[in-house]
Amino acid sequence: MLKINKLNTYYGESHILKDVSLSVGQGQVVIMLGPNGHGKSTLLKSICGLVEKIDGRILYDGQEIAGLPSEKIVNLGVTYIAENRELFPYMTVKENLKLGAYARSARASEKKNMAWVASLFPKLMQRHNQMASTMSGGEAKMLAIARGLMSDADLLCIDEPALGLQPSYRVEISKIIREISKQGKTVFIVEQNIPQLIEMADKIYIMEEGAISFEGKKEDALNNEQLREIFLGL
Amino acid sequence: MFLEIVDVFISGLINGSVYALMAVGLTLVYGVTKAFNFAYGSFYNLGGYFAWLLLIPLTVVGGYYSVFFLAVPFFFIVGYLLEKVLIAPLRKYDDWEMKVMMLTLGLSLFMDFGYQSVFGPRIKSLPSIIDGTVEIGKVVLFQQDIVIFILSVSGMLCFGWVLNNTRTGMAVQAVAQNPAGAQIVGIPKDFIFAATFAISTIMVGFGGILLCQKNFVDPMGSTDIMIKAWVITAFGGMGSIRGSLYAAFILGMLEAFVGWYFGMIHVQIATLTLLLVTLAIRPQGLMGRE
Repeated sequence: MLKINKLNTYYGESHILKDVSLSVGQGQVVIMLGPNGHGKSTLLKSICGLVEKIDGRILYDGQEIAGLPSEKIVNLGVTYIAENRELFPYMTVKENLKLGAYARSARASEKKNMAWVASLFPKLMQRHNQMASTMSGGEAKMLAIARGLMSDADLLCIDEPALGLQPSYRVEISKIIREISKQGKTVFIVEQNIPQLIEMADKIYIMEEGAISFEGKKEDALNNEQLREIFLGL
Repeated sequence: MFLEIVDVFISGLINGSVYALMAVGLTLVYGVTKAFNFAYGSFYNLGGYFAWLLLIPLTVVGGYYSVFFLAVPFFFIVGYLLEKVLIAPLRKYDDWEMKVMMLTLGLSLFMDFGYQSVFGPRIKSLPSIIDGTVEIGKVVLFQQDIVIFILSVSGMLCFGWVLNNTRTGMAVQAVAQNPAGAQIVGIPKDFIFAATFAISTIMVGFGGILLCQKNFVDPMGSTDIMIKAWVITAFGGMGSIRGSLYAAFILGMLEAFVGWYFGMIHVQIATLTLLLVTLAIRPQGLMGRE
């Protein structure tokens, strides 16, 4: 579904991603681990057309998407769920969700997705008239994920879904991601260390200093002493 | 005395309504693009000349009906092209807000001197939309003023409706509130920037048509309008549409009462005093966000 070949990304003069190649299969849950500030978020942003200077190939369903504007990529069915949420602060929960379905490709299934989101996030829907800026960190994160689902994307690129959240939210987010995956969606997650997420991973990558340093099944990662200690904290 | 005060109040209300229409457009552009359009006043004059051209030399069929009907696509296209051709290319620079300010200042002078070379330095007058008066008790109202008030208030209601009830309107608000978030959900930012510019140009163009037929079309009159629009925008709170709305009516009233009591020459200084005092106490303006 997603194939990246020798991707290089730059922010001004600094070279962030270095020859990154990876693949994510249809319906898989793939997790990218690695220390903070080593390019994991940049990778997701590059896929979603949110980074200006990129070089290399990004194929989505066989189509080249590297360098396309973000609105075209959203239309093709790829969405980015930001680590810092990027909600519309002075709009209600409902309005944020409706804008999640802004892409032309999402409009036809807006109602269906709204119902799905309501079943996944019942607490959120109880507060559909609440302003996004008045929500707690955990609630805002839920809203960001829900807004991402409204785009009707088949590939969800989720940036640190559990960062800075209380343990109860971490468990809930893991459950929700499992639900999303059950619906046949492909999920590519960048995260630091969430055992519940790693459990459901089909594949694990580790990124260090802008390059992939490990690729394998979760069992391989769990059996590797060094990785267990450094990245999985087990 | 009482009748005089009522007259002054009505005049403040009518001017305020047109100022509101124009200032809301200016604040919209600032709210969405974070760039200030200093050529805004010159587009007010473009409204005046547009109406004059159609009504006097071209004697268009349908009079003001045709003027208003044609003004919507005309100002939309002018605003859209202006953004695409002149403003959008600047956005690749880090200090593009400053560059937009410089460019629009230059554009404003270019347009003002352009009006002089094309239409001559003398002021032009437009026929009034409607003649006659209406009497309510002892108060005499010009029908022209009533029409101006109705048109500018309906213009604003239309604008408010579009902003809150259409997909594009919601997208405009989304870009204003969080451009990165807007990009994530697939809103084409470049189109929204241009559309916002176009909508604001329609609003100021309409303002120009409405007020120029009451006053005159003055090739050098844009500065005065620019000052007003800027004062309202800053006083109301940069980027706050509601703030601009209130500020426009407050300014309209202030102008009317200061002009009546102290004389027109003191009007600008009074509005600027109000602005400076407000900003000293509340730097974000009446309703701006800190």
